[in-house]
Amino acid sequence: MKQVKVILFNLILLAFSILTVVPFVWMLVSSFKPNSEIVKIGGSFLPDTFTIQNYINVQERFDFLRMFGNSLFVAVVVTGTVIYTSAIVGFALAKYTFKGREFIFGMILGTMMIPWAVTIIPRYDMIVNFGWLDSYIALILPSIFSGFGIFLLRQNIMTIPDDVIEAARMDGATEWYIFHRVILPMSRNAISSIAIFQFLWVWEDFLWPYLIINTQSKQLIAVGLKLFSGQYGTDYGGLFAATAISIIPVIIVYVTFQKRFIAGISGAAVKG
Amino acid sequence: MNGNVVERKKQSIFSLKNVTIVILLLHFSIFMIYPIIMAFVGSFHHWNPLSNVFEFTGIENYIQILNSKLFWTSMSNTLIFSLVVIFFRVSIGLVIALALYSKLSRFKTTFRTIFYMPTITPLVAVSFVWVWLYNPQFGLINEVFNLDINWLRDSRTALPAVMVMTTWKDFGYATIIYLGGLMSLPKDAFEAAEIDGANSWTAFKYLTWPLLTPITMLVAVTSLITYLQSFIQILVMTEGGPGTSTYTISYLIYEDAFINYNFGSASAMSVVLFVCISGLTLISFKLTQKKAGV
Repeated sequence: MKQVKVILFNLILLAFSILTVVPFVWMLVSSFKPNSEIVKIGGSFLPDTFTIQNYINVQERFDFLRMFGNSLFVAVVVTGTVIYTSAIVGFALAKYTFKGREFIFGMILGTMMIPWAVTIIPRYDMIVNFGWLDSYIALILPSIFSGFGIFLLRQNIMTIPDDVIEAARMDGATEWYIFHRVILPMSRNAISSIAIFQFLWVWEDFLWPYLIINTQSKQLIAVGLKLFSGQYGTDYGGLFAATAISIIPVIIVYVTFQKRFIAGISGAAVKG
Repeated sequence: MNGNVVERKKQSIFSLKNVTIVILLLHFSIFMIYPIIMAFVGSFHHWNPLSNVFEFTGIENYIQILNSKLFWTSMSNTLIFSLVVIFFRVSIGLVIALALYSKLSRFKTTFRTIFYMPTITPLVAVSFVWVWLYNPQFGLINEVFNLDINWLRDSRTALPAVMVMTTWKDFGYATIIYLGGLMSLPKDAFEAAEIDGANSWTAFKYLTWPLLTPITMLVAVTSLITYLQSFIQILVMTEGGPGTSTYTISYLIYEDAFINYNFGSASAMSVVLFVCISGLTLISFKLTQKKAGV
């Protein structure tokens, strides 16, 4: 009886998880079908003729790998910088006392509530005035500090005992040395959850690169996908392939790091 | 709390603390404070960057948007969209979390990984996938259920269709947060309840659910802030249509600002949106505090 219950229970969970992954599987499978087969009414789920022509077409018409590389570059630079700035600001806010400390921290938290629609218009105007349109500096510079990152690292660094810092100080370590050699290594877990999140946010960011970047060869992949669908709206095979290229790497990264990832967010939620 | 540990030595102006805080404040002023002030100021101006116009018009932008039917349609669409998606995100997220937490479930890690997968994929890309799932010609949904509905081109089904996609994408986040919450619940209270002969429904109603209130509030408030700003799925899936049936306020702001270049009225709408978001967030926090008896 217990056995039956367990099997039934898990079958329901299995049904739910199939519902969850079916859109991904369908997209991936369809990306290997020729267009004629995709639009065929009552066609089969699996491809009758297996082809990688869609991927070749996307690459030849649109240079998707280039956009993939652009996204990778911007995402790595922003993520690396955000990790460093979050840690150092988090350290300053957690382990130093100074006038206005609580105010600054409150302000950082407050800005997490500001809708993007409020800041994006003046920011765009500012970038135009700086003459930074179509440059990566406009994509990178506004994002080098993250309220979420600072919050997470501050909470984490607060839990590092003062004795550790005091001991390093006794040995004559400078503040910078303490930050780089003591605080950073001890924040490894918080850093890895920020790394994954920040990377994803840059990877999926659409509107800002769409407004800033005009040259197609400089464009990022999320925008590239939309541009491709605008120009080749009926090339469904190509669209499936392009979407697969922009999703699959993220899923691979996620499945590889999922343990740390999930520990990172559920931990932050419970502590917060 | 943690005090002056590092500060004992004589400090130069270029100490870690000073350098960090000064750069932070500088960056903050340029890319956060200035734009916020500018949005507020701009909302009282006729502002078009293409024709280089920036003229003070008082509250004209506000009067104009408050008299616009499209604005109110967008507001009500946004509110309905947010409330429905939050409801399903929270309830599906909680049910799945309880299922994964239960002693009956196997392969917990695998299931958890799968349920969280849509959350970590780019919204632009999955919105496209769903456009094709809903495609009346070759979409999987019509094919499987043997229907003939043009989901995204019918004003009765378009908004619900986007809601379904958003719920599918986001319920996994609620599941993970709830799982974290469930794992931190006090075990002895549940043991005591079991000894007293409480069945699992009573235990859920009087123990689990009240104890999870802070988690529910966390999920609900972060969802509210996110969904009141929904934009990408609208842009990719419906572009506000058919008619105006899926216009959300953020989509309207985008269109007003970056298609029509009415920066002034778009700023006015963004200020209204900001007031709504912070108002609703504050109310939610107050409600939680009352409930928690603080």
